[in-house]
Amino acid sequence: MKMINLKINGKDIKVPDGKNIIEYTKDLNIDIPTFCYDERLKSEGACRMCVVEVKGMNRLVASCATPATDGKEIYTHSEEVIKARKEVLELTWASHPNDCVVCDANGSCKLQDYSYEYKIDSIPVYDGHKRDFEINSSNKFFEIDPEKCILCGLCVNVCEQLQGLDALGFSERGYKTYVSFAYNAGMETSNCVSCGNCVSVCPTGAMMEKTEDIFRSWETTRTRTTCPYCGVGCQFDLVVKNNKVVQIDPAPGTPNEGLLCVKGKFAFKFINHEGRLKTPLIKENGEFREASWEEAYSLITEKITGIKKEFGPGAFAGLASAKVTNEENYMFQKLFRAVIGTNNVDHCARLCHASTVAGLAITLGSGAMTNSIAEVKGNDVIFIIGSNTTETHPVIGAFMKQAKAQGAKIIVADPRKIDLAFGANVYLGIKPGTNVALLNAMMNVIYHEGLYDKSYIDSRTENFDKFLESIKEFTPEMGAEICGCKAEDIRKAARIYASGNKAAIYYAMGITQHSQGTNHVKSIANIALLCGNVGKENAGINPLRGQNNVQGACDMGGLPDVYPGYQKVFNKEVQAKFEKAWDVKLDDKVGLSLPHILNGAYEDKIKFMYIMGENPVVSDPDTTHVKKSLENLDFLVVQDLFVTETAQYADVILPASSYAEKDGTFTNTERRVQKIRKAIEPIGESKPDIVIIQEIMNLLGYNQGILTSSQVMDELALLTPIYKGISYSRIDEVGLQWPVKDKKHPGTKFLHEGRFSRGKGLFSPVDYIAAQELPDEEYPLILTTGRVLYHYHTITMTGKNKEINEIVPANYIEIHPKTAALYNVKHMDKISVSSRRGKTIADVHITENIGEMIVFMPFHFADGANMLTNSALDETCHIPELKVCAVKIDNKI
Amino acid sequence: MNRKALEKIKNDTIKLDPDLFEKKVKTHEKEIRVVLQNCDIIDPENINHYIVNNGYFGIHNAVTSMSQEDVIKEVIDSGLRGRGGGGFPTGKKWNFAYKNENETKYIICNADEGDPGAFMDRSILEKDPHSVLEGMMIAGYAIGAQTGFIYVRAEYPLAAQRLQIAIDAAREINILGENIFDSGFNFDIEIRLGAGAFVCGEETALIASIEGYRGMARNKPPYPASNGLYGKPTIINNVETLANIAQIILKGSKWFRSFGTEASPGTKVFALAGKIKNAGLIEVPMGITLGEIINDIGHGVSNKRKFKAVLTGGPSGGCLTEAHLNEKVDFDNLVALGSMMGSGGMIVLDDHDCMVDIAKFFLDFSVDESCGKCTPCREGTIQLYKILEKITNGTGTKEDLDKLYTLSKAIKRTSLCGLGLTAPNPVLSTLEYFYDEYLAHVVDKKCPSSTCKELINEYIITDDCIGCTICAKRCPVDCISGERKELHIIDQEACIKCGECFASCNFDAIITL
Amino acid sequence: MEEYVNRTQLQEFENNVINLYRDKQSPLMQILQESQKLYGCVPFEVQNLISNELNISTAKINGVVSFYSMFSLVPSGKHIIGVCTGTACHVKGAQRLVSRVEDALDTHYGETTEDGQFTLAHTRCVGDCSKGAVVMIDDKMHSKVTSDNILDILEPYRKQ
Ligand SMILES: Nc1nc2c(c(=O)[nH]1)N[C@H]1C(S)=C(S)[C@@H](COP(=O)(O)OP(=O)(O)OC[C@H]3O[C@@H](n4cnc5c(=O)[nH]c(N)nc54)[C@H](O)[C@@H]3O)O[C@H]1N2
Ligand SMILES: Nc1nc2c(c(=O)[nH]1)N[C@H]1C(S)=C(S)[C@@H](COP(=O)(O)OP(=O)(O)OC[C@H]3O[C@@H](n4cnc5c(=O)[nH]c(N)nc54)[C@H](O)[C@@H]3O)O[C@H]1N2
Ligand SMILES: Cc1cc2nc3c(=O)[nH]c(=O)nc-3n(C[C@H](O)[C@H](O)[C@H](O)COP(=O)(O)O)c2cc1C
Ligand code: SF4
Ligand code: SF4
Ligand code: SF4
Ligand code: SF4
Ligand code: SF4
Ligand code: FES
Ligand code: FES
Ligand SMILES: [Mo]
Repeated sequence: MKMINLKINGKDIKVPDGKNIIEYTKDLNIDIPTFCYDERLKSEGACRMCVVEVKGMNRLVASCATPATDGKEIYTHSEEVIKARKEVLELTWASHPNDCVVCDANGSCKLQDYSYEYKIDSIPVYDGHKRDFEINSSNKFFEIDPEKCILCGLCVNVCEQLQGLDALGFSERGYKTYVSFAYNAGMETSNCVSCGNCVSVCPTGAMMEKTEDIFRSWETTRTRTTCPYCGVGCQFDLVVKNNKVVQIDPAPGTPNEGLLCVKGKFAFKFINHEGRLKTPLIKENGEFREASWEEAYSLITEKITGIKKEFGPGAFAGLASAKVTNEENYMFQKLFRAVIGTNNVDHCARLCHASTVAGLAITLGSGAMTNSIAEVKGNDVIFIIGSNTTETHPVIGAFMKQAKAQGAKIIVADPRKIDLAFGANVYLGIKPGTNVALLNAMMNVIYHEGLYDKSYIDSRTENFDKFLESIKEFTPEMGAEICGCKAEDIRKAARIYASGNKAAIYYAMGITQHSQGTNHVKSIANIALLCGNVGKENAGINPLRGQNNVQGACDMGGLPDVYPGYQKVFNKEVQAKFEKAWDVKLDDKVGLSLPHILNGAYEDKIKFMYIMGENPVVSDPDTTHVKKSLENLDFLVVQDLFVTETAQYADVILPASSYAEKDGTFTNTERRVQKIRKAIEPIGESKPDIVIIQEIMNLLGYNQGILTSSQVMDELALLTPIYKGISYSRIDEVGLQWPVKDKKHPGTKFLHEGRFSRGKGLFSPVDYIAAQELPDEEYPLILTTGRVLYHYHTITMTGKNKEINEIVPANYIEIHPKTAALYNVKHMDKISVSSRRGKTIADVHITENIGEMIVFMPFHFADGANMLTNSALDETCHIPELKVCAVKIDNKI
Repeated sequence: MNRKALEKIKNDTIKLDPDLFEKKVKTHEKEIRVVLQNCDIIDPENINHYIVNNGYFGIHNAVTSMSQEDVIKEVIDSGLRGRGGGGFPTGKKWNFAYKNENETKYIICNADEGDPGAFMDRSILEKDPHSVLEGMMIAGYAIGAQTGFIYVRAEYPLAAQRLQIAIDAAREINILGENIFDSGFNFDIEIRLGAGAFVCGEETALIASIEGYRGMARNKPPYPASNGLYGKPTIINNVETLANIAQIILKGSKWFRSFGTEASPGTKVFALAGKIKNAGLIEVPMGITLGEIINDIGHGVSNKRKFKAVLTGGPSGGCLTEAHLNEKVDFDNLVALGSMMGSGGMIVLDDHDCMVDIAKFFLDFSVDESCGKCTPCREGTIQLYKILEKITNGTGTKEDLDKLYTLSKAIKRTSLCGLGLTAPNPVLSTLEYFYDEYLAHVVDKKCPSSTCKELINEYIITDDCIGCTICAKRCPVDCISGERKELHIIDQEACIKCGECFASCNFDAIITL
Repeated sequence: MEEYVNRTQLQEFENNVINLYRDKQSPLMQILQESQKLYGCVPFEVQNLISNELNISTAKINGVVSFYSMFSLVPSGKHIIGVCTGTACHVKGAQRLVSRVEDALDTHYGETTEDGQFTLAHTRCVGDCSKGAVVMIDDKMHSKVTSDNILDILEPYRKQ
C-alpha cells in the first residue's frame, strides 16, 4: 500500500494513502466538528463545518470530503479555521428558530454544542430570513421539523445508502430546500419502514421521536445492550430516566453498524408496560391471585417432588427459551438434567431451525450460519430462499441492499414477491414446499453446463457420484412444472449463482418449516458444495437464526439430545464429564422434542411442564391440540414477562425480569456471543430467570448456590468446547464468534475454512417429496404462514406499542386479486378461513405479490394462523410443517 | 470517410456555391473572427458548408497523423484557456484526464450558458454547431474518450435542434461513429437538455444532472478529470473553448498565439448589451481595452446618457467603472480589478442604473439558483439579499454595510462550489467602487440614480420638459397631463410611482425628490 | 388530488416513453422532460408510474422534479409569457414590463391566470440580450419590448 507523509498541526505522520483528511485527524484524536459527515456514507462536504487549512491551497477545504495527498501540511484549528467555522455556525443559525429552551433536542444537539464550543456571541446574528415550514408528523414514531433542519442530508443519505430505501429526499432548492417524504405528503406515499435510522443520525432537533416521556439528556443514563427481538443481535443503548426506558439509540460497530429496525428502535414500551407481571400468581379455582415468591416456590417444589416420586423424571418436560440469556438457558437445562433428571428439554428452535441443525450436521458437521453478518456486504451473489430478510432480519436485509448497490447480484426464491425481489436479478415465485424441485433443477443446469467447481468437489467433498444420479435427469422444465415458475428463470438463477466467487445463500423458515425440512436443508448444502461456495470468506450457507438467542439456547443444550455445545447425551465420555461437573447421575436417553412433549401431555404421559419464555398456545401448530394438551397437565409453570395466552393455562406464573433488568449474554445468528446489561431495576417483584431457576434448584435440594451470570459463563465455558475461550472480560466491547477455542482465540469469522467440521462435505441425494397436505377440492388453497416486519411472534412484546398495533392491528390474509375475485372478496373484507383443524378470522389484503391460489397469514395473532396449520412433522428433526397446509375461504363476516 | 472524400465534398460544395466564403460578415476593424468565422456565413444545417472551410480536417489530421500526446501538446502550447469563465488552461486539464487511465472516459461540452445576459455560446451552437462537435472529437481523441455529451440549456431549443441535425449528418458520413477516418478511433455524441438550473453550468452539478440527480455540486477535489461522470475521468469544456480547438490543430499553436496576450492568447467573444448603442456579439483579441470595446466597437452609451459602469462575469463578476476604460481585458487583469471575465457577458450601465439595485438583482439571482447544498451559500445569499433589500427600501443602516462586507467574505471563505464562492462578488465590487452610492441609500435615504422606488417621494417634471408627451402616453394610470410642446405635470395624488415616466423621458426633464 | 393524466395516457407514456429509455443509463431526466413536453407538467401520476417502472423512489423523483425550474407539477396556462429578467433586460426595464403584465392579466410573476389562459413564467435570459428587453410568448421571441408595446404584443393571445 502506498504511504504518504502528512503534517497535521505540526505533527509529522506517515499514513496509508487514499483517505480523506478527516480520517487521519481522527487517528490523532483531533476533534473536528462535523454536521454532514458520517464515515459510513459517501462524503458530501455540504455543511462546511469541518473546514481546515491546507498549506498551499488558496482556500479552506472540507476535511471530510477532501483526499489527503502526500506532503500536505494541515491545520485543523488555526485562527482562520476557527473564524470560518464560527461563520458557518452563524449562518446555520440565520434561519434556525431560536427555540432551544423548548426543543426536545436540547442537550443532545450538535448545533447547540458547537455554538457553545465556538463561542457564538449572540443568536441569531442575521435576522433577514426565517424558514416557514409545517412539521410533518405522518410517521407514527417521529416527526420532521424542517425549520430546525440544517440540511446536513444525513437522514436522506442514511435512508438511501444504508437502509437502501430512499424514502426521504430533498425537495425544492436553495434556501427553500427541505427534507420530506415524496411530495411532502405523508409517509404512506413512501417506502419508509420506520427504522428510525434517519432519526438516529439527525444532529439537531429536526427529526424527533414522538414520545410521551419528556426528558433532557442530562437526566438520563445510557446502557449498551443487545436487542431482544431478532437474531441479528443489534447493539444499542437504553436511555433511562427514573427507572424507565425512554429511548433507544443504535450503537456503532459490530454487528449492526449503527442501524436498527423499527422493533429495536421503537418497540420498547413493553419493558415498563403496566401489564408486566409484578408478583408470582397462583391459580385457585380457575382464578389467578397474587402470591409471594415463598408461596409460589413451595407450591412448585412440592409438586415437583410429588410428581417425581409418583411418575419418575420422565413425566417432566421443560421449554427453555430463545428469548432469555445463555446463562439462564444453561441453568434451565441443568435444572432439568441434573436436578429433575430428564432430557425432556426443548424450545422454539424445534419450530424453527431444527431442520438446519439436523441437515447441516449431516452434511457439514455444524448447524450454524457459516459466515458473518459483516460479510454480507462482500457477497457478489446473494441467493435468498425462504427468508423475508428485510422484514425478519431487517439490518441484514439492509446490508444485502448495500451489497446490491455495490453490484452484487440478487436471486430470490419465495412464493411471495418480497421486498428484496423487487430489483432482483431473478425472482422465482415458487409454490410453497417445492424448494427441492427448484434446487435440483438449478443443480441440473449447473452440472450440464459445466459450471460446477470440480477441484473443490474432488478435494473437499464426498458422495458426489451418488448425488449426481439424483439431479442428472431433473431438468429445469421438470422443476418449473413443479414449482410453478419459468424454466428460463431457473437457468438464469443457476448461472448467476454458479458464476459468483463470493456467492452466499441465505435461508430461513421457507426452507426449514416443512415435513421435508431436513431434506430442503441438505439440498441447500448440495448446491453450495457443487459450486464450491462454502468454507470461504463471503461465501457460504447462512441459515438466518430467528430469535435473539435461539442460537444460544441451542448452544446451551436447550434440546433433548445434547448437552451444551452439541455434546450428545448418549455419548458416554460426555455423560461422564457432566456427571462429574454437576456431581449427579445423568440420563443417557434422548429426551422428547417439543411436539412429542405436547403429545405426551395430551396422552397423559407428561404431567408437569415448566415453560420459560415461550408462548406455544399461539406459536405451535394446531392450537386446538396445544390447548388440550396443556389443559391435560397436572401442573404447569409459566415464567414470563406477561400473562400470555399460554400462561392462562398455568398453575403458577412466575414474573421474570426483562432483558433490560439483567446481565447476561445472547448469541446472535452469526454465532456472536454478546452482552446484555442491566439498565433498570427489576419491575415489581420480578426476578431475572437466572435467579429464579437457581433458587428453585436450591430449594429442590441441589447445592447450586446463586451464581452471577458471569460466573455461570465461566462454568459453562469449562464444559462447552465451542465457548471455551469466552469470558465476560473478553466480550465487554465486542462479542466473540464461536468456536472460541481458548482464552486467546479470536473467535471464528467463518466456518469450515480448509476443512469441514465433519471432515469432508457430504453430498446427499434428495428427492422432491411434496408437502403432507396439498390442496384438494374441499380445501383448494395453499396457506403459508410467517411474519411481518412490525410484529414479533406472539406479540407479547411488540403488541405493547400503540403505534405498532395501529400499523398492523389484526390478523390478515394476503390473497392474489384473481383468487380474491374467485371468492368474491374485497380488500379489507373480514373473512373466515378454515382448515381440517380449525377456523379463524382475518382481514383480506389483496396483493399481486403472492401466487394465485396461495394465501399467506402471519402467525402473530392468537387463535389466528395456528388454528389452521398442520402439525405434520419432519421425521428426522420433528419440525412441524408450518409453511404448507390446505385451507378454504368460508365466508365474509 | 477519408481525406480524399472530405476534399471532394469541399470542392463539390465550392463548385455549387463559389462565393460561399467570399462574402464576409461586416465587423469592426478591431474585431478578429476565429471562433465566429463561419457564423452568419454558412448554413448551419448543411455539413458540407462546414467542410468547405476545412471543417473536420482538424480531427482528420489529429487521428491520422498525431499521437494523443501531440494533440495535447499543441493545445498546451497554444495557451488556450477555458472560455467558460475560470480560464483554466485547457491542454493542462486534458493532460490530467489523459493520464488517468481508464477504459471509459467522457467529454462533456458545457452548453448551459447560464449567465443571464450572455449569448455567445448560443450563437456558436446555432450558427456553427459542427465546430463544437469537431472540438469535442479532438478532445475525445486526445484523452481517450469514446463518448461525448453536450449539455444544452433548456431555453435553447433551436441550438439543441441544430446540434442534433449536425450530429446526425456527421454520423451519416461516418465522421462520428466507429473507426473514424480508419484510425480505429470511435466517438459518438449525445445531447442532454438542462431543465432550468443555473448551477448546472458548474461542472460537478452538471455531472449530477446528467446522472439523473438533483443538480447539486460536489466537493472538489476529486476533480472531474479523475473522477467525473459515473466516476470516470471526464473533461468538461465550454462551447467557445471547444470551438477554438479544430483551428488550433489545423493552423498550429503559433498562429493561435498571434492573437491576444502572452498569458491570455487568442480571441474572446463578448455579448455586448445594456445601455449601449451598438449592442451585439463581438469577437476581439484578448488584451483589447475596455474603452475600445465600449466606445469604439459599441459606439458608447445610448440615449446620450452618461456611462457609469460595465458589468462583466455575470452574477459571479463585478463592475468596472470609467476609471477602468483603459484597462486591458484578459483573464488575469479583470480578476485583479475585482471582477472577472466570466463567459463574456458585458452589460453597460448608465447614470440611471443604481448599483445597489444591480447588486440586489444579482443576489436575487444567486438566491434563486443556489442549489442549497452547502450552508454558506444557501443561508448566506438570502441574508445578503435581505440586507440589500433593506438598503434599497430605505431601512438600511451603516452597520448593514459592514455586515454586507463581512457576510460576503464569510460566504466566499467556505462555500462548496463556484456559485457560492463568487456570488458575493457583485456586492463586494459595487461596495468598492460605489460606496458613496450605498451611503446615500443608508444615510441620506436617497437613491442617486432614482431607481429605488421606496426612496423616491415624488416624480417631478422640470422646465426641461419640451412637451413631447411620451411620458403621458407611458403612464399606466394616466396621471400626467399637458399639451403637446407644453410643460407637463404629474398628478401626485394619482401617481403610483411606477417610474415609467422617468424611464421614458429622453430629455432628463423628470427628476425625483 | 386532481388528475392531469388519465389511465390511457399513462399506458401510452409507459409504452412510448418509459420503454424507450428503460434500459438507458440514468434515463430519469429525459423521461421527465418528455412528460413536461407531452403534458406540460410532471404530475404525481406520472411520477408514481416512473417510480414503479424504474424502481426509483418517489422521494428521489420528486426531489429532481422540484429542483429544476422547468418541471412543474401542474400544467401551465395555454400561453406562457416569459418576460426575460436577465441582466441585460433588467437594465432595460424588465421589471416595469413585469408589473405591466401583472396588472394587465391580474396575476403574479410565476403564476397562472385564473382562466388558465396565461402563465407568467419565471424567465432568465433567453439569449437575445442585445435586443432587450425580450419577451417570449410560447415559442415566439419578441425583442426590444417596451412598456409601450407590451400590451399590444399580448393582445392577439388574449382571444385565443
Ligand atoms: N419482524 C419479525 N422478525 C422476526 C420474527 C418476527 O416474529 N417478526 N421472528 C424471528 C424468528 S424466530 C425467525 S425464525 C425468523 C424467520 O424469518 P423468515 O423465515 O424470513 O420469516 P417467515 O415470514 O417465517 O418466512 C420467510 C419467507 O418464506 C416464504 N416461504 C413460505 N413457504 C416457502 C417455501 O416453501 N419455499 C420458499 N423458498 N419460501 C417459502 C414466505 O413467503 C416468507 O416470505 O424471523 C425472525 N425475525
Ligand atoms: N404458523 C406459524 N407458527 C410459527 C412459526 C411460523 O412461521 N408459522 N414460526 C415458529 C418459530 S420460527 C418460532 S421461533 C416460534 C416462536 O414462538 P415463541 O417462542 O413461543 O414466541 P414468542 O412470542 O417469542 O414467545 C416468547 C415469550 O417469551 C417472553 N419473554 C421475553 N423475554 C423474556 C425473559 O427475559 N424471560 C422470560 N421468562 N420470558 C421472556 C415473551 O413475553 C413471550 O411470551 O413460533 C413458531 N410458530
Ligand atoms: C455557478 C457556475 C455556473 C457556470 N456556468 C457555466 C456555463 O454556463 N457554461 C460554461 O461553459 N461554464 C460554466 N461554468 C464553468 C464550468 O464549471 C467549467 O469550469 C467550464 O465549463 C469548464 O470549461 P472551460 O475550461 O472550457 O472553460 C460555471 C461555473 C459555475 C461555478
Ligand atoms: S435543534 Fe438544537 S439548536 Fe435548534 S432549537 Fe433545538 S436544541 Fe436548539
Ligand atoms: S425511518 Fe428508515 S425508512 Fe423511514 S425515512 Fe427514516 S431511514 Fe428511511
Ligand atoms: S432532518 Fe436532521 S439529519 Fe436530516 S437533513 Fe435535517 S438536520 Fe440533517
Ligand atoms: S434487526 Fe433484529 S436485532 Fe436489530 S433492531 Fe431489528 S429486531 Fe433488533
Ligand atoms: S455554493 Fe451554492 S450552489 Fe454551490 S454547492 Fe453550495 S449551495 Fe450549492
Ligand atoms: S462535515 Fe465536512 S462538510 Fe459537513
Ligand atoms: S438578459 Fe434578457 S435575453 Fe439575455
Ligand atoms: Mo424462529
